[in-house]
Amino acid sequence: MGEDKVLVAVVVALCLVGILAVYSVDPMRGEGWGVRSFFGRQIIWNIAGWSLFLFFAFLDYRFLARGGWLFYLLMCLSLGGVLLFGTGDETGARRWLFSQSVQPAEFAKLFLVLFLGFYMNANKEEFDSYALLLKSGVLSLVPVALVFVEPDLGTSLVLLITWLGTLFVCGFGGRKLGVVFGGLAVLGSSGWLFLKEYQKKRIMAFLNPWKDPLGSGYNVLQSQIAIGAGGLTGQGWLSGKQSQLRFLPARHTDFIFASFCEQTGFLGGALILLLLGVLVWLSVRIARNALDLEGKIFASLIGVVFGFQFFVNTGMNMGIMPVTGIPLPFVSYGGSALLVNLAMVGLLYNIANSRRKEVGRRRFG
Amino acid sequence: MWDKETAERTYHRIGILGWILFAFLMGLFLRLWYLSVLQGDWYRERSERNWVRIIPLQALRGNVYDCNGKILAEDLPRFRLVLLEGSMKVEEARNKVEKVLGRGLGSEFREIAPGEIVLLEDLSLEEVIKVEEAQGDLPGVVVESYPLRFYPASEAFSHVVGYVGKVTSEEFKSLGPLGYEVWDRVGKGGVELFYENLLRGEKGYRRIEVDALGRVRRVLENHPARFENSIVLTLDRDFQEYCYGLLGNHRGTIIIGKPSTGEVLVLVSKPGFDPNDLVKGLSTEKWTKLTQNEAKPFTNRAVQATYSPGSIFKLLVAIAGLDEGIISAQTTFFCPGFLEYNDKHYYCWNRTGHGTVNVEKAIAHSCNVFFYNLALRLGPEKIASYAQKFGLGVKPDFDLPGVKEGFLPTPNWKRQARREIWYPGDTLNLSIGQGYLLVTPFEIYRLLCGIATRGKIYRPHLLKGVLDSKGRLIKDNRAVLEREIRIKESTWNLLINGMKRVVTQGTGYACRGIPVELAAKTGTAQNPHGKDHSWFGGFFPVENPEITFLVFVENGGDGSGEAAHIANDLIRWFLEKRGVERGRR
Repeated sequence: MGEDKVLVAVVVALCLVGILAVYSVDPMRGEGWGVRSFFGRQIIWNIAGWSLFLFFAFLDYRFLARGGWLFYLLMCLSLGGVLLFGTGDETGARRWLFSQSVQPAEFAKLFLVLFLGFYMNANKEEFDSYALLLKSGVLSLVPVALVFVEPDLGTSLVLLITWLGTLFVCGFGGRKLGVVFGGLAVLGSSGWLFLKEYQKKRIMAFLNPWKDPLGSGYNVLQSQIAIGAGGLTGQGWLSGKQSQLRFLPARHTDFIFASFCEQTGFLGGALILLLLGVLVWLSVRIARNALDLEGKIFASLIGVVFGFQFFVNTGMNMGIMPVTGIPLPFVSYGGSALLVNLAMVGLLYNIANSRRKEVGRRRFG
Repeated sequence: MWDKETAERTYHRIGILGWILFAFLMGLFLRLWYLSVLQGDWYRERSERNWVRIIPLQALRGNVYDCNGKILAEDLPRFRLVLLEGSMKVEEARNKVEKVLGRGLGSEFREIAPGEIVLLEDLSLEEVIKVEEAQGDLPGVVVESYPLRFYPASEAFSHVVGYVGKVTSEEFKSLGPLGYEVWDRVGKGGVELFYENLLRGEKGYRRIEVDALGRVRRVLENHPARFENSIVLTLDRDFQEYCYGLLGNHRGTIIIGKPSTGEVLVLVSKPGFDPNDLVKGLSTEKWTKLTQNEAKPFTNRAVQATYSPGSIFKLLVAIAGLDEGIISAQTTFFCPGFLEYNDKHYYCWNRTGHGTVNVEKAIAHSCNVFFYNLALRLGPEKIASYAQKFGLGVKPDFDLPGVKEGFLPTPNWKRQARREIWYPGDTLNLSIGQGYLLVTPFEIYRLLCGIATRGKIYRPHLLKGVLDSKGRLIKDNRAVLEREIRIKESTWNLLINGMKRVVTQGTGYACRGIPVELAAKTGTAQNPHGKDHSWFGGFFPVENPEITFLVFVENGGDGSGEAAHIANDLIRWFLEKRGVERGRR
C-alpha cells in the first residue's frame, strides 16, 4: 500500500477516535444528535474538513505555493482582526472572530507553513545566511507575537516551533541554530516577567502540582489520575469516574486524551500514540522523498506542527509537559483546528501523490 | 547558497527530525505505561478519593424512660447544612446560603468530618425545602439529618438525667482511646453520664458518589447509626415534675423513693437548667451566666451539697441512746427551756420549756434539752459511729456521678485537724444537728429509709431496667439488700411512735389530716447567712412503709414551715394519683 493510502487510513482512524472520544464526554449527549451536541458538531466539522482535504489534495501544491505572500497577508490581517474585533472566551482571552466561530490562530498554523515553504524555496540561494535567518525570523515573529498577545501561549509556541523547524530543515548551521536557541532562551527567561499570572501558575503547577492540588495543580493532577485510573484496559466505555463525574476539566478539548485513556486504558491511549506517531513518521518520510524543496519543507513542517502539538498535548495530559492550551490533532473537539489539520493532511497527500505520479511517469513515460 | 551540499544537508536534517520525533514518541509510550500500568492502582485509589465520600453518621443514643414508660430523653431527627470541601470556598458558600435562607449564619463553622463543614444546624423544614430548591446554585452543600437529644421534661430532670454535649478537646484525651471523636456526643451529667456505656450507640457511615461539583449522584453503601440499649429509670416523671413545681421559687431538693427496694421515684434539685439549651450549644455569654450564677443551678443539691441537718439528726441520737441502753422509754428529762452546763446556758428552741419529756415526746416536740442530756451521757464517738452505720459521712453506692458525702465530726478529728480539744459544747451542738456536722440531703433520706425498713438498707438506685434496641427488657435491676443494721425492736417502735407523734401532736402539724398514717421529723438548720434552712422528712404508711420522702428548702424557715407544707402537698398528690396498698385510713 502506498504511503498516501496509509496516510488517509491513519487520519480517518484518528478522526473516528476523535468523534468517539468527544461523544464519550459530551455533556449534551443526552439530548441526541442535534447541533447542540459536541459530537454532532464534531461530525459536521469532519465533513467540512474532509472537503478541505480534497481541495488541498488535488490542487497542485506548487501552484498553491505561489500564493505565499497572500497567505502571509491573510494571516496577519485575520490575527490583527482578532485583536481589534475579536470576541473573548471564558478565560478572558480574545481568540475568536465572527462570534466564536473561527479561531484565526489555528489557521495561522497552515498559513505560516505555506508561507515559509514558499519563502524559503524562493530564497534558497541565501540558505545558511544570517540575512535569511533574520528576514524569515522577523516575518515569522509577527504572527507569533500577534497570537501571543491574544493571549494564546500554546499556539504562539506552535508558530515559533514552525519557524525553528524551518531553520533546522533548511540546513542552517549548528552555530546559527545555537545563536537562535540561545537568544530565545534569554528572551524566554526574561519573558517570564511578561507572562500572565495564570500562565506562571501553570508552569509552577507543572513543576510541583501537589503544592496546590485544588488550585493551579488541579488540571495536571486530575488528568494523570484519570489516565492512571484507567489501568491497562480502562474502566469501560462511558464509565470513567474522572471524566463522567467531571473531575477532569476540559474533557472534550485539551484533556480528551486523559478521558479516552480512563475509559480504554493503556491500550486505547497507546492506539492514539501509535496513530499519531505513524502520521508524524509518514510526514517525515514524505518530506524525505518529496521531489522538490517546497514539498520537502511543506511536509517536514507539517510533521513538526503535528508532532509538536501531539507531544505537548499528550505530554501535558501525562504530566510531563506544562499545561498550555494546545489541542490534540484530530481528536480534540474544535472546528478550526480540525479544518486546518485536514487541510495539512491534504497537502501531505498531495506531495506524496505527486511524487508517485512523477515516479510513475518516469518509469513508464 | 543552494547547491548539492545544501540539498543533501536538508535531506539529512529531515532524517534527524524523524529520529527526534521517534525519541519523543518512545518517551510518551513509557510515560503512559508507567501511569496506567505500573502506577494504575495508586491512581485508581486517588480517583476514588475524588468521587467517593464517606459521610460519618453520628451515633444514636438510647432513650431514657421513666418507670411508667414516659420519655425523659430521646433522639429526634434534625437537619443540618453541610458543605463538602473542595466544591466551594467556605465564604462563597456562606454568602450563597445566607441569600437563599435570608438569614445570617454563625461566624464559626465546625468540621464534623475531614472535608465536611457544618454551615448551619437545626434547620426548619421550610429552610430544608428552600435549600433543596436552590441546589443548582449550591454545589457541594448537602442537607444531612442528624440526631438531636431532646429532654421533654426539661428543667425538672436537669440534674438527674443530665445532658449530652460534644466531646471537648480535654475529654478527648481520655475518651479518644475509647473510640470517641471530637464531634461525638457524650453524657455530661446525671444518668446520661453514669450510663454512658449503655446509652452510647454505634456510629454509622454512608459511602456516596459525588461529582466534581460535590453533588450527590448515588448512595453506594448505607450503614446506619444505631443504638444498643435504652434504659428505664425508677423515676416517676409526673411526680417529679409536680415536686419541681412545688418548690416554687425556693432553692432546695426533694427526694422520694421506696425504702424496701431502694428505688428512687423523685430526685429534684432547684434551681435547674434547660438541658435542651445545652445540647444545642450555648453562647459563651449564656454559659458563663449559668456557671457563675450564685444559685448554682448545676449543683445537684440532693447529692452534691452539704448542710447542717438540724433537728432531723435527733433521730439518730435517739437511736444511739436507746440502743446503747442509756435511756429507755421511761427515761425522762426536765426541760425548763435551757440546759445549764459549766455555767453556760444551752437553750431549747422553745424558751418556755417542754416540761418533763420522755423520748417519744422529745422527738415529737423536738426538745433540745432532752437530747443535750442524752448526748452528754452518750458522747460524740458513739453518735458518730451510729451515724456511720446509717451511711452518714460515707459515699453511697448510687448511680449518679459526682455524689458527695457529708462530714461527721469527732474529738479525734478536732484534735488533729483543728489542734483544739473537743468541748462538751461541741457535743451539745452535735446532738441537735448543728456545729461541725454536715450532711447531704440524700444521706438524711437514707437515714429515713433505714428507719422505715427497721434497719434493712437497700441499695438506692435510679436504674430500673435495660432495654435492647427493639424495646425488650434484657436486664431487670432488682432490689439489693446492702446491709442490715441490728437494732432492738423496741428501739424502732419507740422511734417510730415518736415520729408519728411529730405529725399528730408535734412540730409536723402542717401534715395533719392526711388520709394515711405518717411518720416524720422536722429539722431546722441554722444558717448564719440568712433565713434558716427547712427540713421535713418521713415515710408512710407507718405500718408498712412504701414511700420515704425528704423535703429540704434552703431559707425555708423552720422545719414545721415551708418544707412541711410542701411535703403535705406531695403526699396528697401521691395518694391521689398513685395510692398506697395498705395502711390507708
